[in-house]
Amino acid sequence: MKRKYLSYLLLMVVAGLWSCKSEDSVFEQTADERLNASLASYQKQLVDAQYGWKGAIYPATGGVYSFYFKFNDQNRVVMYSDFDKTSAVTAKESSYRLKAIQSPSLLFDTYSYIHVLADPDGSINGGNYGEGLKSDFEFSFNPDTLNTANITLTGLKNATKLILTKATQEESVAYGNGGLGKSLLFSNIDLYQTYFKRITVGGVTYDLNVNTEDRTITFTWLEGTVRKTFTTSYYYGSLGVTFVTPLVNGSQTINGFTNLTWDADKLALGLTAGSTNLTVAGAARPVSADLTAAKRWWQFALDKGSYWISETGFTVAGKEDFFGVRSIPNFYYMLFFPAIASSQGTSYDAFTAYDGSGLMGPAVVPTFSTDGRVTFSVLGTYGTNQLMNTTVLAQVEDASGYYIIQKSEIKYDMVSAKDGRTWISWWYPF
Amino acid sequence: MKIKITFNYLILLLVSTVFIGSCKEDKLQDVENVSGLGGETWVQGPIDKYILDSLTTPFNIAMRYKWDPYEFSDITATLVPAKEEQIIPISRTIRRAWINPFVAQAGAVFFNKYSPKIFVLSGSAQFQYESKVLGSAEGGRKIVLMEVNELRIKGMPNYVSARDSNNVKEFIRTIHHEYGHILHQNIMYPVEFKTVGQGLYQGQNWFNISETEARQDGFITQYASSGFDDDWVETICYLLIEGKAGWEKIINSIPAGTSINGTSQADAQAKLRRKEALVVNYFKTAWGIDFYSLQTKTRAAVVSLI
Repeated sequence: MKRKYLSYLLLMVVAGLWSCKSEDSVFEQTADERLNASLASYQKQLVDAQYGWKGAIYPATGGVYSFYFKFNDQNRVVMYSDFDKTSAVTAKESSYRLKAIQSPSLLFDTYSYIHVLADPDGSINGGNYGEGLKSDFEFSFNPDTLNTANITLTGLKNATKLILTKATQEESVAYGNGGLGKSLLFSNIDLYQTYFKRITVGGVTYDLNVNTEDRTITFTWLEGTVRKTFTTSYYYGSLGVTFVTPLVNGSQTINGFTNLTWDADKLALGLTAGSTNLTVAGAARPVSADLTAAKRWWQFALDKGSYWISETGFTVAGKEDFFGVRSIPNFYYMLFFPAIASSQGTSYDAFTAYDGSGLMGPAVVPTFSTDGRVTFSVLGTYGTNQLMNTTVLAQVEDASGYYIIQKSEIKYDMVSAKDGRTWISWWYPF
Repeated sequence: MKIKITFNYLILLLVSTVFIGSCKEDKLQDVENVSGLGGETWVQGPIDKYILDSLTTPFNIAMRYKWDPYEFSDITATLVPAKEEQIIPISRTIRRAWINPFVAQAGAVFFNKYSPKIFVLSGSAQFQYESKVLGSAEGGRKIVLMEVNELRIKGMPNYVSARDSNNVKEFIRTIHHEYGHILHQNIMYPVEFKTVGQGLYQGQNWFNISETEARQDGFITQYASSGFDDDWVETICYLLIEGKAGWEKIINSIPAGTSINGTSQADAQAKLRRKEALVVNYFKTAWGIDFYSLQTKTRAAVVSLI
């Protein structure tokens, strides 16, 4: 009997203890303790960077923008931005805080340069109505980004990427001295009156094609007889322009351009590439023509049964719409319509202006040469517009012909082979 | 098989229950450690001090100017925070053009009882397909003011009266508009008001008519023509912000002739005057407020800001 009691007792004790087994926790600390520790740690890292941070932001609509941030422990941050000439040289103070929103996050909680990208008012940043550039100002820290060389963050609304890299003392001082403003001088490359811009680094001659709006740069060069190209995004910093992907050509690596200068009288851009100090030179012809670009351009519109347009006409020596086609009443755009019709068995293209009701200007027959140029011979004219049928016609039928440079799937530039100082930019809007 | 309810069995049952029941409960966490509990904290600055002294301490009103994504009901909208340089001028405007006239006219007890206690600011407007949202009110407790970054008030640098005074008036009107809703949600306006504009309301179509067309039908604005409640509060806020002379001027500027809907000029003017009379009467009977006196005070405050 006693043994029975004993075994019952044992059973009860064991059952009792077992039912009391508390859940094993994977962590030693509670979730809140870990969260608070995490926030404190990020805060410390942000503030402790003695010379501040360089930030590169990649908004959803494309491109990359660079910032300089200096955080203090009073929830204040000072910023510079490469968005425009003013934000590049004028420090702006605003506030920030760290908050636990699902995961530890950095909030820029009063308006400053970083918000310009996200502003839904398209007139402020050239973005879409109601969306802006689809950027962010609230970012969550990527997991495991603590205690690495960079801090990577992801925007909460549009998953914008923000990468923070510690600035050096030299960079930090340069921001304070208007260094970012000097780097913005690089965008003056748009003021060159020749289409082709050339630099020679390490014995290699490169053509530069810069899109200052999208902030991309394309290098073209010859390796023997082979045409090579390389494209990268770039962003501005206090010491110069940095390529997101460096150009690596054999033993030569170009990370960006520094020491930018601009001579407004000579329209000349000076820079240092690699270890070479140079001035960007204008050139009349490409270092290496894209031999099939002209045919591709022509065929693209033909395949679509449609046409290319240019809202600004010919640019000559840096002057947009040099011939003044925009003054034609109700001018919509200039257009190029391949194989629009035929006359007596000869197919022709329209290289004209369009005013919503009719075409004005030359009808042309194209000839594609083996060196990549296209030349136009005039077959006849549409309409009776004097400007289009004489002045513009003369330009169109220039015997030197045109090189065609592809900028994107739907953008091509047509550059006069005579001197590289006359061109027209076509794009496909449909 | 019959379970013999024996003494042993009962002991077993009892002790097991006791054991299970005596399990140590999870200790309640140290509540101080919960992140964000008790509100957000940041190092207080001059703006925070100004808000505390001029809005929170006297009127228990919070001005939430720092971005918080959860303050905005439409999380899909793209918004940006307010600029710091806007906060103090805006707070000052809220006091001068809204709080002070009501407190002076109706007393602090009245004002504090019905005033919304939270202002939330957005730097940008909320862009919608056809229009921009400039403000909203929630539950009589919170007012969201938008596009505050575009506001320039007299006394701020870059203020140009010709360009900016309308925005200032619109801002002040937004607050009075939302406050008007809160008041009529507590004490409803007279039923007769709904009959004055009967048959002429536009509903969702309101943004397709012009201000002149609206006034030709006896509505003070296009938005007023969207429905009874907004007609009511738009009438109130135009009376207060334009002042007596301004209101009269609007009525007298209604063009001669008949509106598209067949309302004559005389009819439109009579409708607006009837609406005015109903508003004045409502404030007297529902709240004991001399509306014309409130109007004088509010208009004077508005003039000082434009």
